[in-house]
Order: sequence, then structure tokens, then C-alpha cells
Amino acid sequence: MSEMANTDPEGIDGVRMTWNVWPRTKVEASKCVIPLAASISVIRHHPDIPTLPYTPLRCKTCSAILNSFSRVDFTAKIWICPFCFLRNHFPPHYSLISETNLPAELYPQYTTVQYTLSDPNVNPNNPMNAAPAPSASPVFLFVLDTCMIEEEFGFVKLALKRAIGLLPDNALVGFVSFGTQARVHELGFSDMSKVYVFRGSKEISKDQIMEQLGIGVSGRRAPTGYQQKGMQNGFPNTGVARFLLPASECEYTLNSLLDELQTDQWPVAPGNRASRCTGVALSVAAGLLGACLPGTGARIIALVGGPCTEGLGTIVSKDLSDPVRSHKDLDKDAAPYFKKAVKFYDNLAKQLVSQGHVLDLFASALDQVGIAEMKVAVERTGGLVVLSESFGHSVFKDSFKHIFEDGEQSLGLCFNGMLEINCSKDIKVQGIIGPCTSMEKKGPNVADTVVGEGNTTAWKMCGLDKSTCLTVLFDLSSSERSNTPGTVNPQLYIQFLTSYQNPEGHTLLRVTTVTRRWIDSAVSSEELVQGFDQETAAVVMARITSLKMETEEGFDATRWLDRNLIRLCSKFGDYRKDDPSSFALNPCFSLFPQFMFNLRRSQFVQVFNNSPDETAYFRMLLNRENIANAAVMIQPSLISYSFNSLPQPALLDVASIAADRILLLDSYFSLVVFHGMTIAQWRNMGYQNQPEHQAFAQLLQAPQDDAQMIIRDRFPIPRMVVCDQHGSQARFLLAKLNPSATYNNAHDMAAGSDVIFTDDVSLQVFFEHLQRLAVQS
Amino acid sequence: MAAPVPPGAPRQQPPPPPNYNPNYQQNPSSLSDNLQNLNLNRPPSMPNSAPRPSPFQPPHFPSSAPSPSFSRPGPPPPGAFPRPSVPPSGSPPPALPPNVGTVRPTGPPFSQPSPFGSRPPPASLPSAGSGVVMGPSSGAPSFGSLAPRLGAHPSPIASSTTPSSVPPSVSSGGLVSNGPHAPPFHGGPRFPPSGAAPQPPLMGPPTAGAARVLPQAPSMRPLMGSSGISAQQRSPFSAAPQGAPSYSAPPQGMPSFSPPPQGMSPPAGFPFGQQTQTQPVAPPPIPGSAPPTMFGMPPPPPLPNQMTAISPVVGQTGGSLAGSSKIDPNQIPRPIPGSSVILHDTRQGNQANPPPPATSDYIARDTGNCSPRYMRCTINQVPCTVDLLTTSGMQLALLVQPLALPHPSEEPIQLVDFGESGPVRCSRCKGYINPFMKFIDQGRRFICNLCGFTDETPRDYHCNLGPDGRRRDADERPELCRGTVEFVATKEYMVRDPMPAVYFFLIDVSMNAIQTGATAAACSSINQVIADLPEGPRTMVGIATFDSTIHFYNLKRALQQPLMLIVPDIQDVYTPLQTDVIVPLSECRQHLELLLESIPTMFQNSRTAESAFGAAVKAVFLAMKSTGGKLLVFQSVLPSVGIGALSAREAEGRSNVSSGEKEAHKLLQPADKTLKEMAIEFAEYQVCVDVFITTQTYADIASISVIPKTTGGQVYYYYPFSALSDPAKLYNDLRWNVTRPQGFEAVMRVRCSQGIQVQQYYGNFCKRIPTDVDLPGIDCDKTIMVTLKHDDKLQDGSECAFQCALLYTTVYGQRRIRVTTLSLPCTNNLSNLFRMADLDTQFVCFLKQAANEIPSTPPLNVREQVTNFCINILLSYRKFCATVSSSGQLILPEALKLLPLYTLALVKSTGLRIDGRIDDRSFWITYVSSVSTPLAIPLVHPRMIALHDLDTKEGNESPIPPALPLSSEHVSDDGIYLLENGQEGLIYVGSSVDSKILHQLFGILSVDEIPTQFVLQQYENPLSKKLNDVINEIRRRRCSYLRLKLCKRGDQSGLSFFSYLIEDKVPTGGLSYVEFLVHVHRQIQMKMSS
Repeated sequence: MSEMANTDPEGIDGVRMTWNVWPRTKVEASKCVIPLAASISVIRHHPDIPTLPYTPLRCKTCSAILNSFSRVDFTAKIWICPFCFLRNHFPPHYSLISETNLPAELYPQYTTVQYTLSDPNVNPNNPMNAAPAPSASPVFLFVLDTCMIEEEFGFVKLALKRAIGLLPDNALVGFVSFGTQARVHELGFSDMSKVYVFRGSKEISKDQIMEQLGIGVSGRRAPTGYQQKGMQNGFPNTGVARFLLPASECEYTLNSLLDELQTDQWPVAPGNRASRCTGVALSVAAGLLGACLPGTGARIIALVGGPCTEGLGTIVSKDLSDPVRSHKDLDKDAAPYFKKAVKFYDNLAKQLVSQGHVLDLFASALDQVGIAEMKVAVERTGGLVVLSESFGHSVFKDSFKHIFEDGEQSLGLCFNGMLEINCSKDIKVQGIIGPCTSMEKKGPNVADTVVGEGNTTAWKMCGLDKSTCLTVLFDLSSSERSNTPGTVNPQLYIQFLTSYQNPEGHTLLRVTTVTRRWIDSAVSSEELVQGFDQETAAVVMARITSLKMETEEGFDATRWLDRNLIRLCSKFGDYRKDDPSSFALNPCFSLFPQFMFNLRRSQFVQVFNNSPDETAYFRMLLNRENIANAAVMIQPSLISYSFNSLPQPALLDVASIAADRILLLDSYFSLVVFHGMTIAQWRNMGYQNQPEHQAFAQLLQAPQDDAQMIIRDRFPIPRMVVCDQHGSQARFLLAKLNPSATYNNAHDMAAGSDVIFTDDVSLQVFFEHLQRLAVQS
Repeated sequence: MAAPVPPGAPRQQPPPPPNYNPNYQQNPSSLSDNLQNLNLNRPPSMPNSAPRPSPFQPPHFPSSAPSPSFSRPGPPPPGAFPRPSVPPSGSPPPALPPNVGTVRPTGPPFSQPSPFGSRPPPASLPSAGSGVVMGPSSGAPSFGSLAPRLGAHPSPIASSTTPSSVPPSVSSGGLVSNGPHAPPFHGGPRFPPSGAAPQPPLMGPPTAGAARVLPQAPSMRPLMGSSGISAQQRSPFSAAPQGAPSYSAPPQGMPSFSPPPQGMSPPAGFPFGQQTQTQPVAPPPIPGSAPPTMFGMPPPPPLPNQMTAISPVVGQTGGSLAGSSKIDPNQIPRPIPGSSVILHDTRQGNQANPPPPATSDYIARDTGNCSPRYMRCTINQVPCTVDLLTTSGMQLALLVQPLALPHPSEEPIQLVDFGESGPVRCSRCKGYINPFMKFIDQGRRFICNLCGFTDETPRDYHCNLGPDGRRRDADERPELCRGTVEFVATKEYMVRDPMPAVYFFLIDVSMNAIQTGATAAACSSINQVIADLPEGPRTMVGIATFDSTIHFYNLKRALQQPLMLIVPDIQDVYTPLQTDVIVPLSECRQHLELLLESIPTMFQNSRTAESAFGAAVKAVFLAMKSTGGKLLVFQSVLPSVGIGALSAREAEGRSNVSSGEKEAHKLLQPADKTLKEMAIEFAEYQVCVDVFITTQTYADIASISVIPKTTGGQVYYYYPFSALSDPAKLYNDLRWNVTRPQGFEAVMRVRCSQGIQVQQYYGNFCKRIPTDVDLPGIDCDKTIMVTLKHDDKLQDGSECAFQCALLYTTVYGQRRIRVTTLSLPCTNNLSNLFRMADLDTQFVCFLKQAANEIPSTPPLNVREQVTNFCINILLSYRKFCATVSSSGQLILPEALKLLPLYTLALVKSTGLRIDGRIDDRSFWITYVSSVSTPLAIPLVHPRMIALHDLDTKEGNESPIPPALPLSSEHVSDDGIYLLENGQEGLIYVGSSVDSKILHQLFGILSVDEIPTQFVLQQYENPLSKKLNDVINEIRRRRCSYLRLKLCKRGDQSGLSFFSYLIEDKVPTGGLSYVEFLVHVHRQIQMKMSS
């Protein structure tokens, strides 16, 4: 499996589909069990993508963009839109076009091209940005929790200072701190430190916030105001200069402010939680940005050290004897604050989306902080999220630093993204799972059934980065064969248009046009089978399962997955009815059951070992990562290191444990380096330090180096666990392994291997049952 | 109990600095020093007054008076509250420095500090002699022709009053003082805290002080001899006493009890010479019998002036105008400046001794009844029945000023500590032990003089009775021999630990405030005043500013600089920090100074015109809620946004007035209930709010004043605010506000003997239960009026007692109960009531009630009520006590002979003037509600003096020239006059004044150059010096920094000056004094005949 990670299955387009050959009809499609879906890495970097310095040509009716699949009549200077088949004349500046003189977008290998939109104001792809900002500097509004112990507070302040040092000079910075009350720091006030204090317990509207910050009137400029010249930093309004300053100007102020900043001074009664008004602080921050900078790329970076207990968005009472809600509470509807808080964050998300702003969440606490509630706001705005135990932990520290770093590893944070999808006639879009918001743009390609963010062919992504990945779910038109047979086009086309503002402030439009073949699956399922992408299918199933678990009352995920798997095996397996032993699967499907086995055991389905916060966190990352990474979340990769052989993938099975091996487990969220017993003993005796045992030293080092490689590319930074066989930390490995050896059958095992103390079924048992059920008539 | 003060006692100051002057001595001088600093940037010479930076840029107030002494001796009220800044020793009543205690009785322990020697006296020595001689005449000269008579009177008094009770040494002093000399005597003392303070050495002013002391201090005598006295004469202080018009009336009372002095020829018939009628100070006794004297005729010598008659004025009912012409305007009753200090024993011969006039200068000796400063009754005998009272037309009420500033020469109030068990109280009415509780049964039981209940004497309080029926220890126990004592409160009197002294300053920084300089003035004043706040770890301060939002400041020392915390929600306010907004003064001094300096510049470019006064006050209240304390608000514009926002209703009000709208007076009522509700909540949490209104526009004082009124605070009004001339006053007002004796979280109740009960309380407080008033703040200036009613008959010949108990916390956090007891005889005799009427008190009660009425009653009705009140009293007197005289005469009871004049003045006063600005009237009403008796009189009947000839009156012992009648006849075009009412001083410059004088006084050459904003400066010439002396003296005596304004004929300023001349006829219908008398007379005649 790991070989997949090494190739680039996404290619230039960044698109992977569950089925690369599409059945013709809705009925056929439903028989395929695994839905038609595409996962697209919307702005993944690829060296072959050309950037075109001119505006694209659009089809007059469907507004699809000229692409390499368009048929061109060079003599008549006409191109035919592959989506609606309309004939469009080339405009005058394309007059030189000829078969030998093609614009880049017509080169067949450039199925993905990128346009630079010079004048953002005419960007028709971004109607929400009626008044897009001039090429603006990025805006970072830090929202810092002050209810924490001094030590943690020290860590987070340090991290903040470092981050501020890394910001580009022109980046605008604002600062909000909160505890019992929310405090907006006016960085532009030179006489002394000045803060606006908002009560944590009171709900305030956006208008009130603006009025109370004294930016109400000027903040409500007519849109034309934004184009005025000579405004400070290109922003029209004085509120900006008061609260948001270029990093170069306010670094000193901020640093000294952070030096003096104290933890929340309001007393906390014994036996109570600190009073923390996260919700109000965030809505104040949103209001501030909304007043100062609507429509420009801005991020609210929230650093939260505990649950919201005051005012809007409260997730738990202040009384410590009242625990934070668990999955069980949510199931039993025993979480009194949950729904209200979710509703609040839902509204906050709407506000942020309409302003085009992003909410990033950095939560560090031993207990939950309310990610489950805040998820909606983070995910819909395309924000980043990092959950760790402490602000001193590398998961937080390094991830936080990573955001602000330039260069190779940079996340490439972009703003104001919008995705539009054009597709061939019979294809309908059900919706998208991933960090985006539906813009409710209705059209002929909108499906009746909605999955995730649907009811539209356009989505807003306030924040996106080069790894952002969306899952589009398709449906087929239910009408039978609308095309007359004669004109049947054997190809289907889907065009993804992604406009966004890159970190330099330029607005770009990426056009990816993909084509796939229609197939009449009733005629030939062989081709269909060949077009199956099991990895993508597994991830899509995981995403759908997660979504259903969140949205459908009483949804039994395991059963649903099992049923689908059985149906799939029944349809595509090769077997004699009622003869389990005759069962065989095409290699194109062979890995899928194992994915399902691991998915059933994963944190996405087995939520009860996790808090709702963790689950929400895992799912957000599942939804936004690319297929390869998501697959690792579902089914971790395991590499074994030993003398005498190169590092090699090992079975994700307890049998892979050996005393003289080192294992490296990558489950995406954590990396485990596991030393076999013997290795650990040697290491403890210090052999690696002896010159004659250099090989041993190298062996010890190899997994560490590989782990660092993985860590470098990943955001958030995974948790690194180094452990020894039989050590307590070894559980991080054991939990992920197939329990082929348990105490039930320990006597069968070879010496030096390990057993897992569990009653979970092993993969083998799972397969046996699957075979039996699949072949049932 | 008079034992030494416990070490911890806050009051007591820490050991004085080596050179330390007892505070009282210093006060005067320190005060003036401070003033000077203010104005002149002169280095402070006083130890206790820390050098302060010159507040404002010197340029501003360059010179207003080199020695402008604030009238109040600032800091240390002698009383019980030693202010930190001021040196302690003298001050505290609680613990008397040993010597002090003795002072009284024995003679003065005042040891004069050697420095004394240094005084200039020598020169004066001779003069001293002359002083004595002159004494009699001295009063006279100044007053014109009456001299001889004057002289005569005083001396008798002296002898009569001082008789036995005064130790010889004192008496001699007394003699001196009472007589002509008096001036020296009382001169300074008033303000300077009394006590045993050694005299400060070198200071000029101190000398004065010393002078005052002199009479009492025998020891000094030798040293200084007469020189002391002479010194006094010159000293600015000496003049003072008469400042307040002293009426002849009071003296009368005294005589009645004490055997009449020699045959005193009663001045009764005085020729009403020019300005002065000197009434004999000691009038003739002879109670009951007093034949009316008529003005026209020479009064029969033996008969004291029981009454004053105005001669055949009006022919019967008829010829009004004609009649008036018959009245000699020079003969009608006018206040007579008392020229001497009166020594007053509160009881003599086991009888209540009627007090001297409130406005006179007196030194009271507590011999059982409280000093009249703390409590005085409208009538010094209590009518036995309600019918008798009704017949008299007078009312029965008390004016209580529980923390009043004593005369420096008075014995401090003693502190009594009963230990764990707390003060002995009647178990039924809870009255406190007092000299009138009667011990019986060998002292085992006592009868409560308030409710008549018989109680067991607590075992450890038991003492045998002497042959006279008194406890043998009565004279050693202050609570058994003094009318006023202070008890240490036990835990039982506390619902929580006594609160710390918390001062929170809230400053308007809206555009208007910044631009008019009000913010800068406030900040600078606060910055200077900080040094005057009580020292100690418990003193806390906080600062906030506001415009359309509220800005708090975190002053915590850990921060490098203050942190500004803005509360933007002014509809629903909150406090931005739980702690650190109010911090101990000692920890934040630097931040505070830094902050106050930067506030005016920080908001310099503010464009916020709105002001969220109500919200800001509320927000600060929330921050202060846990402790309570004083909130001082500086407000410059009409509160326009947030909680309690007000509208500019004055504009519509103006049109209503012009259209004759009946409801115009509604503008004097609060706009709505919001502020009232807030105020009640503030009071509940012991937050006392003072508001300093520095405005140039309408600010709706009627609404704003509700807060100070309800919380025991006060309104200060600076209109139109001038950045040039007002900061000095602002500073002085603020300084007095925080340094005067005061208490926090107080509760007051007045108890009366059976037969009388309290009807109602009037003043600045919050009342939640009927019997008590809650005073989040109470200070020495606040007076509470208590009206009384009969619920039973009293026994003729018995005594009726009134006891006021004030439970409060001192600025140093001690809980105290001040108990003031007054016991008065009961009478069935109507003429006794008239004879014993206390004009000042009577009139002030009446003034307060009228002020109370104004917002709810059309002004015409109030005027009518006021006039009727006067008429009814005179009618009753005429009807029942003066039947002998002819009906053609207007006959006035001697004690109340000024009632018509005062009534007329009241009718013409600011509050009742229809054409006045609404805010001026509101402020007047607010001011009246808490004003003390001595200050209420001048408010209505100001004092006018001539300034142009100040230097020609050399030799006069008082720096303040005699007052002129308030009539334009006495204002000549070539003269310059000062008219002051305790609040402001109008200097009128006649149109043809010698330009030399103008130049000397104001540095200008012609009347046309008169500036609109005036700052008094001292120039190098005697006249200017003299003027400054006079003004400073007045300021000191009034405890108020007069707002000076120059007026000239022909413009608004001139009109306002003339509007104070209440004896004049006003074109719009106001009667002249003579006409008014005629009117009154006619009314009486009509009623008599009907």
C-alpha cells in the first residue's frame, strides 16, 4: 500500500475519483455501491501548471472556460464548449490562433491552467467579492485566551512573539485577548496601552461591536470607498489603523504588550472553572474584521486553553463537578449547552464567510475546549485547527510556527477562494465534504439530494492552502438517456474553477478540466472495475461515514459500512453462490476490504474512546487532507527496520513486531518509533555509541530520520512517540495493529512476537465473515 | 474615657515631624500657602503641605492672591478628623492631647512655641494698648457714628458672660476679647483648627493665629504681652468675625438667663445710623416683660429691645406710598455686624443657654448641651403644646450638622471607649447615655431622658451619687457632662469591617471638556490633591475618564505604564477588571501622576462630543461596589448618551417661560427616574458622589444633582467655566472636599423626648427606613434639617431633649458614633417663644423648605407662601404679645426683627427668580438642601463692602470693612464694591472710578478695559494688598474659594450685580425693602382687623 504514497496518482489535475469510468445511468451507478465522487486538491502545487497572464475565455451560456477539450474550428475562429456544445467565437485578440499557434489552455497536456486575474474587480467568478480588496496584505487577528496557568501562558506568549517576528512586514496584525471579558487592544494608540473591554456574558451584535469600537460610521462605507486611493495601507477606514497595524510598526508594541499581559485577573471560585468567554471574543474579533476589512483576506487566529464557560458559545458550566460533554452525553442528548453553542458558531461561520474571513483554532488543554462546537466555524471558513495537550508541546509549537514560515515548507495560505464546478449535462452535484461553504448558487447541475455543502455549484473557501482537498459527490440525472444515441458523447467533462487570492495578494484562477469515459456498465463491468480507485473509495467512504455520524440521528456506522462492503463484494466479487471458499476479488478491489476493516476500528468510527473534541478534530483533518494522507489516517503505514535489510513496509499486524526490529508507524496524527525488545536493550546498553557498532547506531537513527521527513511535510505536526516493546507508550502502536495474536491464541505465536490484549476481531476473522456474507444469495 | 487614644487610633497622627506644628495652627497658613502655590507657584513653606507643583501653568493664575488663603483652614479640621496631610496632634478630638483637655477649664495650656517671640509684635505693642482702648470704639469707627454705644455694650457682655465659669486667666482674656478686642480673639481661630497646637513659628499667618490664641493662653501673655493682641489687630484674621452679620438678637437670649448686666442701655432705640446698628451685644434680659420698643421713640433705657417697631409707617391701612415715605430707610432693621467674639456656654446654671447667632463668631463651651454648631433648634424653648406652636406661626425644627467644624479655640470632642460592651444605651429607645439621663437609686438605675424608661445601670458602669444627686464621676466622664461625645463603635455596629477610604475620580474628556480646558483643570487639581488624601495603606484611589465610552485605568504597579481599559457598552455597563482599577494610593502614586499629566493631551484630538455621564458613573459604581467610597465626577456637558442620557430640555423650557407656561418649574425636577434609581443603589453600597460641573452650557443640574443629593454628596458648579479663572477654585474646592472632616457609610438618627417626634429629615442622604437616614458620605459642611412635631403635651418647666446619633467610619477606617444631645426647657408662654426664637435657624429652615418646594410649585406660589409665613409670625406676635402698641406701628419681635428683610431677600433670591437660568436655579436649590446655617444666610442676604477706600481705613482691626446695606443708594459711581454670598464674589466697578485706583487694583486704566474673565492679582501697592487680604479672609471664613467676577454698569455683569441688591425696587415688580415692610404691615393690619 505504501507504494501508492510514493507515486503521484493525482497528476497535474489533483483530481482523484472513486470511479474513473462512469456508469451511464443513475440505476447503474447505485448498483456500484461506492458513490461517484471526486476528490480535488484545489490549489495543489504542480510544476507543470502554466500560469497565463490573461483573462480566460468563457462560454457565453454556461460560462465554462475554454479548455483543451474544446473543439476548435481554426478557420471560423470558433470553439465549441464541451459542456453545453455552444459555438463561441473567439474574440479579436485570439485572431492569430491556428493549429500551430495555440494558446496554452488548448494544449492537451494542460488540462489544468492558472490565470492571473489582473483586475480583481472584474473577476466574475467571485461575486461575493463585489468589492474585492486591492492587492492587500494578509491580516492576522490573534485572539488569545488568558485563562490559563502561568506556565502555559508563558509558552503561548512565547509562541506568539515568535510568530509575530515571522510575519511579513506588511501583514496587518490585531490583538484580542479574553478571559471573563473580551478585550480588543488598540495597537495604534501610542500614549499608553489601550483596550476595549467587552463583557463576556452579553451577546452583542456586529453593529454594536462596530459602534462600540468607534468604527461604526466610517466602517460602513459604500463599497466604492474601497477603491479610493491614498488610503492608509490601501484600507479606507480609520478603524484599521487603530486596531490593525502593519507588523513592522507594531511588533514592539505587541511584544511589550505581551510582556505585560497577565492571566485573567477575575477571581475563580474554588471548585469552578475559569470564566472564559471564547464565543464573545470570537464574535468581537469577527465584528472588528468585518468593520475594518470586509472582503479581504484575514484570519482570526484563536489560541484557546480551555472550554468556553461564559456567554455565547458556552459548552459547559463553571462548576467543575459538571464534566464536559462526552459522546455518550451527545447521544443521549444530555449535553445542555451543545446545540446552542453549535448554533452560535454556525451563525459566526455565516458572518465570517460573508466577510471572507477565516477562523483558525489552536486548542491546547488537557480537557476539551469545545472544538466539537467550533468545528462548523473553522471548517466552513477553511480554517486551520490544531489540538494539543499544552502550548509547550511540539504539536502546537511547531505547527504554529509552521503557519508563518516562508519558503518550501510554507503552507501557502490563500484567501477568498471560490470553487465552481461545470459538468456535462447528465451529471449532478450533490455537494462537497470539506472545508468550504455552499454559496447556494442553483443551476441545472445541482442534484436534488444534498450531501455536505450542497444545493449549489459554487462554494466559498475563505481560507485554503496548497493541501486543501475537497470531496465532490456526484449523482446522475435520473432521466433516461436524454442524449439521442447518435450524438452520444462517450466522454464526460467536469471543470473545476478555483479563484483565490494567494499570499502575495494576487488573485488567481485555476481551471482544471477533466474528462472520463461513460460506460454502459450493464454491458461491460470489466471496464468499470478497472476504473475503481480503492484508496479514494475508502477515503470517500470514511468521509461519508463521518458526515452521517454527525448529521444522522442514530446512525450505525459499522453496520452501514459492513452492508456496503458486502454489497460491493457481492457485486464485484468472483464467487459461486453460497460457497465462501470460492470467493475471490479482482485486484482492483483487493485492498478495499482491509481499508474497511481498519476504518471500522479507526477513531472516525469508534468514537467512544475519544472525546467529541478529538473526534471533531480528526474528522476535520480527514476531510481536508488529500487522499494519500487520509488513507494513512484510516490505515496507518508501518515500516520495519532491521539489520540485513532495507527499511520495508510491514504488515499492519501484531505479527510484525519482532525483538530485533524497529517499527515506524505513521497514523498521520502520530508517529510511533517502536523498538523491539532486543534493540531496546542494546540501545540501553549504549552499543550505538561504540564505534564498532556503527551499524546499530545507523539502524537506530534511520526511523528517526524518516519520521522527521514525514513531520516536515505535515500540518499539523504529528505527535511523535518513541517507545520500546512492552513499554507503556507502546499502546500507540498496538492499538493500530491487527490483533491477529491475542491472549486467546497466544500459544500459537512465535517467540519474540507480541500479543494484543483485546477481544476485537482480527482481519482474518473479518474476512471469513465477509466472504460468507458476500456469497449469500 | 478621655483616656489617651489607643495607639492605633488613626486619627492620631503619627508623631509629628520634629518641627511640627500642630495642625491647627498651620492650617490657616498652610491653606493659604497652598493657594499661593496654586496661584503663584510659590514654594510652600509649610511642612505639612507638601510642596506641590504649581498646578497650572503659572501664567494662568499668576497672582491671584499672594496669600489667598483658602478660607478653610484646609485640611485639618480641628475636629476629629485629623487629616493625614495635616499634622495631627492638635486635631483629634478623640484623644486629646493632655494639655488640650485641660485647656478649657484651666486656662490655656496653649503653650506658645517660642517662635512666637519672633513676631513682629513689638511694634504692635503700643498699638495693643490702644487696641484695648479702642476696642469699644474700634467697632464703632468702622461702623460709623455709633461707636460710643458699641463700646458700651460689649463690655457688659464680657463681664456677664464670663462670670464665674471661666477661669480667671481666661476671663481676663475673655474680657479682652469680648470687648472691643474681640476681634483679635476670634479672628483667626475659627478656621484654624483649634486644639492645642503649638504655634507655628515664623509664618505670617500664624501670628494671627497666635493672636487669636492669645487671650486664652495665659502663658503667652507674659511673653507677648499685649503685643500679641496688637498683632492680631493687624492680622488679617482678626477682622473676620463680624463678617457674618451678627445680629443683636442672640445676645438677648443670653441676658435673659444670666442676670442682666448693668443697666445696659439697650441700643434698642438706636438711631439707625448709617450702616451699622450695633446692637448691643449683650442685651438686656428680662424675659417676659418686654414692652415693645418703637423705632420712632427712644426706647426706654431699662427695657431691652424686645421688639422693634417701625414707626408710624403706614397710616393704618391707607397710604401706602405715603407711608413709605415716612419710613426712614436708615432706621429700618438691618443686620448688625457683631464686632466681637462671643463666649458661649451651652448651659449655665443648669439651664440651656440660648446660642449666639449662627453667623456670629463665637466660641462655645460644652457644659452639657451640645455646641450650637452641631445642632440648633428654631426656638430655644420648646412649646408645651402643639396649639401654642401653631399660634406662634413659627415652626419647630432642628438643624443638625453633626461633623461641623469647631472653632479652633473650642475643646475638641472627646472620644469615649466603652470597650467590648459598647456605649451604655437605654434598653427601650436605644438612646445613648448623656448628661441628662438621671441616675437614681444610688446610681443603680437610670431614667432615660428621651423615653422615660428606667434601666439598670450596667455593673461596671455603676457609681454612687453625690449629694447633689449627680454621679460622683459625672465630671470625669465626658458622656455625662458633655453635649457632644464620640463613642468607639463595637462589632455590633458593623455589618462588615469598616471600609477603607476610597477616592475615585471620574473625568469628562469629551470634546467640549477638552477644548474648554475643563479636563486639564480637573486633572491638575486632582494631581495636586492626591498629596492631601489620607495617608495610609487603606487609602485607595481609582481614575476613569469618559466621553461616549468609559475609560478605566489599571494602575497596578507591576505595569510599566497605566493600562487603559475601555468599556464601550454604555447602555449596559460593567467594570472591566475586578481588581487593579482601584488600588492603594501608596502603590500607584507614580502611575497616577503620569496618567493625570497625560490625560489632557491624550484626548486632545478627540472628536467625541457625546458624554455618557450616567453610564460612566454606573460603571465606576460597579467597580467600587465592594468597598464603597467617594466618587468625584468632573462633568462638562449635558450627558447625552448611554444610561440616564438627558436632553436639552432647557430650550423648550425657555419657550415655555416666555409663553407663560405654568409647568416651567418642572424643569427643576429630574428628567426621569433613572438617575434616582441608580443613586439609591449607590447609597446602598456606600458610594458617595460629588459632581463638579465645569460647563459653558446647560447641563441639567436638576437631573444630575439627584445623585449627589441621594448619596450624601454635593454639586459644585462652575458656569460659565473659564480655563483662566476657574481652575484655582476647582482645586480649592476639591482640596477642601477631600481634606475636610468627613465620614463614610454613616447612619444618622435623631431621637426626641416623649411628646415630640421627628417628622421629617431634609438634606443630602438616602432614606430607606423612616427613622434613619443613610449617608454614604457625611462631612463637616453638610447640614440636615429635622422637622419635629408634637405627639403629646409637654410639662411646663420640664426639659425636652433631642439626641442625634451619627454612626460613621472615619477616613482611617474606625467606626465611631457621634452623639449630640441638646436639652431645652419647655414653656407654655408664647412670648417666651418669640423671645427665644432663633432667627437664623428659623429662617434657614424656612429657606430649605422653600427650596424643597420650588421644583414642584410655581414660583409665584412659593413666594406667596414665604411672605405669608413671615406675616403670620409677625401677626401672631402683634396679636398676642404686643397689644399695647398702637396699631399704626409695625412691631417686630426683637429676635425676629430681620425676618422681613430676609424674607424679602429670599423672594428675590436666585432660586425664586423666574428669569434666571434653569441650571442656576437648580444649583441654588441643590446647594440650599445641604447648606449649613452660617452659610445659608449670606447666600440669601449677601455681604457688600466697599473696596475703593480700603486703604483709607487703616487702623481698623478687621481686614474686612463693614458691610453696606444692599441698596443701590450705597453704590456710587466712583466706588468699587465687593458683593459676596459665600459662593461667588462680584466686584462692581463704578463708571467713574478714579483710574489710579483701577490701576492699583486691577492693573487697568479704565473701566472699559475690564476683562470678562478675572483673576485677582496682587500688585505692589497697599490698596491691592489690602484687597487681597480682604478676599482671602472672606474665603477663609466661608470655607469657600469665591468665584470672582468683575462687573460694570451697562452690561450683563452689572445687571447681575444689581440683582443682588435686594433692598432695591426691581422694575419687574419686586418691592423695595421699605415697600415690603409697608406691605407686611398692611397685611397684618388687615388680618388684625378681620
